[in-house]
Amino acid sequence: NPIVLDMAYNAVEFPNLENRM
Amino acid sequence: AVEDLFTALHRHIEAGDFAQVVKVADQVLKAAPGDEDAVRCKVVAHIKSDGIDQALAAIRAAERLPIDLGYYKAYCYYRQNKLQEALELLRGQEETSVVLQLESQILYRQGRMNDCMNSYEKLQKFKIDSMDLKINIIAALVAAG
Ligand SMILES: [K+]
Repeated sequence: NPIVLDMAYNAVEFPNLENRM
Repeated sequence: AVEDLFTALHRHIEAGDFAQVVKVADQVLKAAPGDEDAVRCKVVAHIKSDGIDQALAAIRAAERLPIDLGYYKAYCYYRQNKLQEALELLRGQEETSVVLQLESQILYRQGRMNDCMNSYEKLQKFKIDSMDLKINIIAALVAAG
């Protein structure tokens, strides 16, 4: 089968720390 | 102060220095045990540096906290090819575009192309304009024959 791009990896994101600094 | 640690965390994230992100997140957790942002930073930093075992260890360490790390855990299981476990974790998650994307990748890997195409159909309702997504849908169509 063709290789699938790992879009789920890109969807793993750091939280927004704007109001913690 | 914890604010200074978060400023440093933010800087390391921007620089893509994931080892430092883990280190400073641990410092936050020492000062503020169970801090949700710090836990998430640590788990994501491990995933982004392909430390899947370490990410799972961080997720397990946070298990008793009221933080939903289900998506991260499912993603780690996907990377470890524990596909059925990953799918079951996703069932407990809201059907967001992110969850559907991971679900489609798992089903594709399992060779369940009809189910995979169903996930992509649901995903298209989110109107995501992405070349990567188009490539993945074509791959599934080709594999489905
Ligand atoms: K894959």
